[in-house]
Amino acid sequence: METSSRELQASEYLEKHQIKELVSYLTSALLFFRPEKPREYLISLLERLRIAKVTGVAFPFFMDNSNIVAMFEMMDSSGRGTISFVQYKEALKTLGLCTEDEDLQDDGHIITLDKFKEEVNKRMKEICEKTKGKDSESYQTAAGLLLLH
Amino acid sequence: MDATTAPHRIPPEMPQYGEENHIFELMQNMLEQLLIHQPEDPIPFMIQHLHRDNDNVPRIIILGPPASGKTTIAMWLCKHLNSSLLTVENLILNEFSYTATEARRLYLQRKTVPSALLVQLIQERLAEEDCIKRGWILDGIPETREQALRIQTLGIAPRHVIMLSAPDTVLIERNLGKRIDPQTGEIYHTTFDWPPESEIQNRLMAPEDISELETAQKLLEYHRNIVRVIPSYPKILKVISADQPCVDVFYQALTYVQSNHRTNAPFTPRVLLLGPVGSGKSLQAALLAQKYRLVNVCCGQLLKEAVADRTTFGERIQPFFEKEMAVPDSLLMKVLSQRLDQQDCIQKGWVLHGVPRDLDQAHLLNSLGYNPNRVFFLNVPFDSIMERLTLRRIDPVTGERYHLMYKPPPTMEIQARLLQNPKDAEEQVKLKMDLFYRNSADLEQLYGSAITLNGDQDPYTVFEYIESGIINPLPKKIP
Repeated sequence: METSSRELQASEYLEKHQIKELVSYLTSALLFFRPEKPREYLISLLERLRIAKVTGVAFPFFMDNSNIVAMFEMMDSSGRGTISFVQYKEALKTLGLCTEDEDLQDDGHIITLDKFKEEVNKRMKEICEKTKGKDSESYQTAAGLLLLH
Repeated sequence: MDATTAPHRIPPEMPQYGEENHIFELMQNMLEQLLIHQPEDPIPFMIQHLHRDNDNVPRIIILGPPASGKTTIAMWLCKHLNSSLLTVENLILNEFSYTATEARRLYLQRKTVPSALLVQLIQERLAEEDCIKRGWILDGIPETREQALRIQTLGIAPRHVIMLSAPDTVLIERNLGKRIDPQTGEIYHTTFDWPPESEIQNRLMAPEDISELETAQKLLEYHRNIVRVIPSYPKILKVISADQPCVDVFYQALTYVQSNHRTNAPFTPRVLLLGPVGSGKSLQAALLAQKYRLVNVCCGQLLKEAVADRTTFGERIQPFFEKEMAVPDSLLMKVLSQRLDQQDCIQKGWVLHGVPRDLDQAHLLNSLGYNPNRVFFLNVPFDSIMERLTLRRIDPVTGERYHLMYKPPPTMEIQARLLQNPKDAEEQVKLKMDLFYRNSADLEQLYGSAITLNGDQDPYTVFEYIESGIINPLPKKIP
C-alpha cells in the first residue's frame, strides 16, 4: 500500500519534532504520578519544557540528584564510595550522555560520587545549551534522556 | 526494560486511572490536532490546545433533502446542547466580514454562494470563541463533494454526521405545507407542526419556492450531490428516517450525538453481573469468560473451593457452611481479594457475580479497590425465575442436569428417578428473591452507570446485549 504524500509529510513532521517521544513521556508521567487533574498537570509539564527550552535551564525531569545518587550506589556495591572507570562510562552511556565512540579520558583518578554528579549535570547542561533556541531538539533530548532503557 | 526479558508487572492503579480520565483519548485528540495543523512550535500549540479543553464539545453536521426538517432538528439540537448553528443564510449575514459582503452580493446575483467563499466563511466563523468553546452544528453544509473536500483540507472534522432520509413523494407533499415565521425564522407546517399561538399563526408566510416542480428539481439536485458527500464521513454517519414525527427524529438524533464512538484505548473489562437468583448470571459469566478469556469469579464457587481445598480460609468458612449461615463479609472479602489480586485477574480482567449482595459489601469492594468498569443488572420477572428454578431436576444415577420445560429427560424411566435440589424449592427461591430486591434499589443507586438488561430472553440474545454494553463506551450523561 503506497503511502500518500500527506502521510509522508506527517511522519516527517513527527520525526523532526520528536513528537512520539514527547507524547510517550507525557503519558508515562501521567500514569506514574496519577494527578487529580490530568489536564492541568500536562499543561504544567509542557510549560516547564517550554521554559527549559527557552532559558536553557536544566529541566527538572525524572532524573534528579537523588536518582544520580541511587544510580551511583547501585554501581558501587561494596560501598567504597567510588566506581571504576568502566562502570562510569557505562553509566553515562545508559543515560544517553555520551556516545559509543566518544573516548573518555581515564585520568587515573577513581570516580567519586561528586565527580559523577558533576559530570552528569555538566553534560545535561551542555545538551540543553547546545540545542537552545532550536525548535526541535532540546526537549527532544530532554525527553529522550528520560526513557531510561 | 524489555517485556520479553522479564514480564512487566503494571500496578492495576495505572490502567484504572487511564480509563477513568480517558488519557488515551486525550492524547489521541492532541496528536490529531498536531498532525492536522503541524505547527512550527509544537509545545505552545499543545499548551493552547489543552487550555481550550474542547475535546467533547458537539461538532455535528446535519444533511438531508429539502423539506426533511433539517433546520428544525438543527435548531432544537442547538438549543439543547447550547452550541452555535451555522447555515448558509446566517453565514452570509455576518456584517463584520469582507468575505460575507462579497458572498451576499454573489448570492443575490446567482442564488448560490461559490464553494471557496463559503468554506472561507465557515473557517472564519469556526475560529470564533463561541464555536470553540461550545461546539457547532452545520445545517445543510457541505452540499457538494467539493465543499466537503475543502472543509476537510482545512482540518475541520465533525464528530457526528446525521443524514435525514425520506421518500421523495413524502417530501414533495410536506414541502407544500411549509410556513415560515418572518420574525423568529422558525419553520412551521400546516399539518404537522402548527404553532399554538394565534399571533404567530397570523404572521406566517409561505416561502417562495415550495411548489411541487421546484421541490422536485431541488430533490434531483440533492440526490445527485449527496451520493458523493457520504463517503467522506464513513464511520461517523448515521441515517435517520425523516418520515416520522419531528420529536422522534429529534430524540434519535440527540441520543446519537451524545454517544461516544469506540476508541482504540486499551481496555481490560472488569464486569459485574447483578441480578436475582436464577437470572442467568453464571451462564453469562461462563460465556464471557470463554469468549473474551476473562477470569470467571463466582463468589459462591470460590467459597466452596476454599472449603474443599481445606485452605486456611476454608477451615474458617466451613462452620458457616455446616450451619447454613451466610459467610461474614470480612472473610468473604479476604477470599475475594486473594483471588482478584492474582496476576491473571489483573492482566486479563474479570467477571464477578454473586457479590455484592447489599450496600455494605459493595462499599467494601470499592474500598479494596476492585472497581468494575461495567455493571449489568439482569432483570427477570418473578414468574420466569420460578419457572426456571423450580423445574430443575438432577438425575442421581448419571449426574445429568435436566429442566422439565427446557431440557426434559428423554425417557420415562429417567424422569421417574429425578430429584430436586432443596435449594430450588419454591419458598427458598422466594426468600432469596426478596432478599435481592430489598437491596437492589441501593445497589442501583451506587452503580449509577449500570446497564439494565432484560434477562427474560434466550441466553445468546442476552449475551449479545452484554457484549455490546462492554464494547461500546458508556453513554455520556447530559451535562
